[in-house]
Amino acid sequence: MDKILRINMGAAGGPQVKSESVGSYAGLGGRALTSTIIAKEVPPLCHPLGEDNKLVIAPGLLSGSAAAMSGRISVGCKSPLTGGIKESNAGGMASQMLGRLGVAAIVLEGKPKEGMLYKLSISKDKVEIKPDNSLKMLGNYAVAEKMKAAHGDKVSCISIGQAGEMKLTGASIAFTDMEFRPTRHAGRGGVGAVMGSKGVKVIVVDDTGCPVRSPKDPGKFKEANQNWVAGLRKHAVTGQGLPTYGTNVLTNVINEAGAYPTKNFMWGRFDTCSKISGETQAETENARGGEGSATHGCHRGCVIRCSGTFYDKDGHYLTKQPEYETVWAHGGNCGIDDIDAIAMLDRLDDDFGLDTIEMGAAIGVAMEAGLIQFGDAQGAINLVKEVGQGTPLGRVLGSGAGLTGRVFGVERVPVVKNQALPAYDPRGIQGMGVTYATSTQGADHTAGYAVTANVLGVGGKVNPLKAEGQIELSRNLQIATTAIDATGMCLFIAFAILDQPETFQALLDLINAFTGAKMTGDDVTALGKNILKLEREFNHKAGFTKEQDRLPDFFKKEKLPPHNLTFLVKDSELDQVYNW
Amino acid sequence: MDAETTPRLTLTVTPGSLSRFLPLLGQGFTVQRPAGASVEGFLCRACGIARDYLRERVQTVFLNGKAIDDLAAAMVNDGSTIALSAAMPGLAGAVLRKGGAYAAMRRQISHAGPGDSRAGGPVSVTIKLFNLVARELGPGFLEQGVLIHGASLQDFFRRQDRGFGKIGRAADIDGRPVDFEKVPEIIPGNRLVLLALRPAGPHPG
Repeated sequence: MDKILRINMGAAGGPQVKSESVGSYAGLGGRALTSTIIAKEVPPLCHPLGEDNKLVIAPGLLSGSAAAMSGRISVGCKSPLTGGIKESNAGGMASQMLGRLGVAAIVLEGKPKEGMLYKLSISKDKVEIKPDNSLKMLGNYAVAEKMKAAHGDKVSCISIGQAGEMKLTGASIAFTDMEFRPTRHAGRGGVGAVMGSKGVKVIVVDDTGCPVRSPKDPGKFKEANQNWVAGLRKHAVTGQGLPTYGTNVLTNVINEAGAYPTKNFMWGRFDTCSKISGETQAETENARGGEGSATHGCHRGCVIRCSGTFYDKDGHYLTKQPEYETVWAHGGNCGIDDIDAIAMLDRLDDDFGLDTIEMGAAIGVAMEAGLIQFGDAQGAINLVKEVGQGTPLGRVLGSGAGLTGRVFGVERVPVVKNQALPAYDPRGIQGMGVTYATSTQGADHTAGYAVTANVLGVGGKVNPLKAEGQIELSRNLQIATTAIDATGMCLFIAFAILDQPETFQALLDLINAFTGAKMTGDDVTALGKNILKLEREFNHKAGFTKEQDRLPDFFKKEKLPPHNLTFLVKDSELDQVYNW
Repeated sequence: MDAETTPRLTLTVTPGSLSRFLPLLGQGFTVQRPAGASVEGFLCRACGIARDYLRERVQTVFLNGKAIDDLAAAMVNDGSTIALSAAMPGLAGAVLRKGGAYAAMRRQISHAGPGDSRAGGPVSVTIKLFNLVARELGPGFLEQGVLIHGASLQDFFRRQDRGFGKIGRAADIDGRPVDFEKVPEIIPGNRLVLLALRPAGPHPG
């Protein structure tokens, strides 16, 4: 990937496209590239929706190659939700296509004339941006249909729904999947609002005529890729658990642990969670859509296939298999145990372009405020529809849990850096709370997801049963995760590389054979640290202090049933996470 | 139906459809066995789960909602709940693993100390089987028969899509044939029911 496409939306005479060499950004991909560009080029104190902010869309380092699992795409900007740096990533088809087109990043900069909406098209021979106000206030599904009619189904789309156009801070960016459905989202941090502020409704990516990217050493690459795939397929999580049940397999387990945030984090167990568990969901999908409906990849080259297809009771497509976080946010967090209603909420979120975690958390806060009752599935659906319609109430909810809590005077608002917490109560799994509190991204379960610490040896080996060590573990996890986010690899590879050293080696071999580098585990660690350092510095300049690296007070004061725990990690310990 | 004894509901279902009932096992079923055993002893000796399976395939075990690292040390008591899961994805999966590298991150919900257990009369223990463990061990338990609360069973039947009845070839309660579709109306909601499943043979003709 040798070029960066810069689209100046505020240029005199209308948006201008400039293609330039990657220059000093050479060798970077995914999160490494988005965060480096944002840190170097965006004034930290700028308004996130103003002309000085930039939206960077970058495929991973290996995207566009034949490397399995390399199809993640990163989106970076200054977040309108957190006020800090943001990287949010997604699956879908665009990453592989941009990689094949040789595009290391698309950078949307400046600000267009008010009221104009644009379509950006990228193909082998040309890049063009044209106004298209016929797309105004369309949902992502309608946008995808229009693009398919205009360009055929061999292209992919990156789009925003109504929420992005309204610049709501819960807005996501959608990426079409293998079936041309806008189901893969860079959800977190309001990245869709930044795309909306740039006036870009959709980016059509067409890689027709572009070959798969060639590795520096094809022989070694092929061998490493074979070992890589074999390692993923033989592991119980990546080869069996995820393909069979998807990520929602976690519902029963987290609930049993008493760490399943229920009814806006009031309880750690949801009595009827088995009705919305991954096991029930998979059985439902297979019964309605035929065996195999619960197993599907989100992009070409995925061998884990943790997704699936959700059909309604009449057997019609409704949405992709809702993820664990979605099922929790709209389910247990809101006291809703109706899997069909949750799937409908997922569909609406995808169509309007909303982060499912942020929306579920906002509705949970609204339920606590008494707007509707916990467990009111139809009421929750109606609230999400208000967001799509852009009513005043909908705009409040679509701006996230933090704002909803302020508007309705709710004290128990589960956010860090104004971003809603995901589906693991930090009073139950306290080490997760360390990552929620200290991540550069706001509360984010994927910020410390790459369970590779003892493999990489970051910070030395940790005794698993030692009472202490949560700070070290969280630090190591955040470093490893940041590095993997740069490769474009799906984070679900983490288990296989944790348990199987030969699979971790296969990943390193894959990267080295492709790039010609000689990367070691130490280099992976250094890469992760460098990115985190850049992100921390940006946040510091944007006004963040250690006081933002904290969980909300109620986690320290309110005991979480059934284990009656509070969050016990001291502030002074949290402040040690970045002391490496 | 005798008011004193536990009713036995036997369902004969189409081949391959037994998996539809597996989510029931995640809600928990009751097992009555002699007291005085560790979790490992209880699961292996009393429930017949192979020791190697328990050590290798079962990666996360909860006793009364707390993650266990040493199955041979934690003791089972009357009213205990044991939940079994295969390896799980993500950080949470790694954190909850028995003896895993991230166990320190959940020490507040780890099972501490062995506890005690008195040998003697039978104890009632709730077993929950999740994910691949349910898929692999569940059919054996379901064919052998599991004690499930009638209300849970009624709710399970009532939540199924139209057409669920088509998987039922026959049903009986204590040997008395009943209509498969009417099972939720017939079984008592306030008592335990012994549910046993039988895969039907090939359809005649």
